Amino acid sequence: MTRIKAYCHLREDFCSVNGQVIAKRDKDSEDGWFKQIYKAQEFAYPKFHKMDGLSQAGFLASELIKRIYPEMVTAYKDDEIAMVFANQSSSADTDLRFQRSYEQNGAPSPSLFVYTLPNIVLGEIAILNKWYGENMFAVLPKFAPDFFVDYSQILMSAGSKAVLGGWIGIMEKQVNVFLFFADDSGQDGLEFSPENLAGLAEM
Amino acid sequence: MTYIGAEVIISPLGDSAEANWSAVYDNRSGISLVQGAGFDGEAVFLSKILDFNSNSKFTALLIQAIEKIRTSIDESIITSAKTIVIISSTKGDLDVNMNDQFGKPVAAITEHFHLAHDPLVISNACISGVLAINAASNFIDANIYEHAIVVGCDVISDFVVYGFQSLFAISDKPCAPFDNSRNGITMGEGCGAVVVSGSRAIFKNQPLELLSGTTANDANHISGPSRTGEGLFRSVKKTMERNQVSAEEIDFISAHGTATVFNDEMESVAFDRLELSDIPLNSLKGYFGHTLGAAGVIETAASMQMMRNGVLLKSLGYQEAGTSKALNIISENRKGELKTILKTASGFGGGNASLIIRSI
Repeated sequence: MTRIKAYCHLREDFCSVNGQVIAKRDKDSEDGWFKQIYKAQEFAYPKFHKMDGLSQAGFLASELIKRIYPEMVTAYKDDEIAMVFANQSSSADTDLRFQRSYEQNGAPSPSLFVYTLPNIVLGEIAILNKWYGENMFAVLPKFAPDFFVDYSQILMSAGSKAVLGGWIGIMEKQVNVFLFFADDSGQDGLEFSPENLAGLAEM
Repeated sequence: MTYIGAEVIISPLGDSAEANWSAVYDNRSGISLVQGAGFDGEAVFLSKILDFNSNSKFTALLIQAIEKIRTSIDESIITSAKTIVIISSTKGDLDVNMNDQFGKPVAAITEHFHLAHDPLVISNACISGVLAINAASNFIDANIYEHAIVVGCDVISDFVVYGFQSLFAISDKPCAPFDNSRNGITMGEGCGAVVVSGSRAIFKNQPLELLSGTTANDANHISGPSRTGEGLFRSVKKTMERNQVSAEEIDFISAHGTATVFNDEMESVAFDRLELSDIPLNSLKGYFGHTLGAAGVIETAASMQMMRNGVLLKSLGYQEAGTSKALNIISENRKGELKTILKTASGFGGGNASLIIRSI
């Protein structure tokens, strides 16, 4: 049976792993919210600072899941983990910044333009982990647990052994991220069902 | 067996697969020099659908494509609860609403066609179209849906033109895939559509067989291809193994061929590693430009027309070999029976995707 082994929430003012809050936003900090988490958790991946919000969120959530469930990287071959991500706003947060670069700031910014696609976060996580597996990014009107379960099961019946997936909504001040890791090993974790996924996402 | 058929292409060359076929068979291109299209007001070569008046070109093209689909399949499939519409696109309705690029177009086609389910939007850069066709097949194989209408669409905007200009990725002439003098992409716009189904009976004309493929990430760079072609190599290898198709069986490769120096070089390396270098190959970007999220669907539809017409279509813009590994690029149209073909795509985010189509 496929089970949810670990999950991570990122919201406007807190970050939690498996439901336990590990960071709260300090509104007085000079650092942005994602940088606060990066520093507090003592990550060391300089490329993080070049990433857009979507990729930073994907980096933090996937790395925090990895810390609590290290099997995510030790138990699988480099092409066995599929990524199935979705959101409602695509890369609009960075799209607006890129548009400002040429409408207000003189010239289109290539370093912003390369992040104006929602699937770039999948590329960043693949690069970080050297993962060559299946990728899927969908744009959905709202969180759809059936989509994640259906498509993950499809990929797991065709060679993938595990799925890193979830909702990654970043739009201006709004942060709504829920990533999970699911696989078939062991007896721990809730069954990977639409009901359980919906329940965890709501936390 | 999973069937694929009822293909539609809307591009500057015409508004049906047949009209587009007739144009590309004459080796005509949709690319023209568009005045004032660049960031500094310079002229840029684009494959742009001119004289198209609509509040939302994106939504209008989606509707036009599905209307065409409706005439070539059992009409009741459109509204069936067993049907999913899958849209592949990178930027959707960006010019109309940057904050919500897909919400309104999706709602508009759901209402217009009385769809039973919300369409699924797949947005994986330039592999979106091939991935969407594979996803359609996967949903059908898993018995989640029985039929899928896959519509790939992207429209040219200042946003994407300026963006690719900022990367110095736009060609100063009509793009020349795999040619020694290639120096970048030509942006294109358009809409492609196909129907994927487990039922042959829904198609008014003979469908083809779809052998669902795979994706693989390069794990290398977000905006540049792997020098070793690792992701493309892995995707094609898995797609061939999954479907038990050997290199000898493949009659033609519809490559991605964007005409950037690095992409086309990467493809030559990947096909060499796959021992597919001798198979006749083209890029259709010389006809349609690079239509981003629509490319995989438009180029699959055009390849299906090649199969139906028994023609290996010239790779427009190619004159002289320009990759480190040799490829068998089609230099002139010629007759040939195409029983089994391979379609590939690669894109930003390190994505690579492939699928196989077989005649029945």
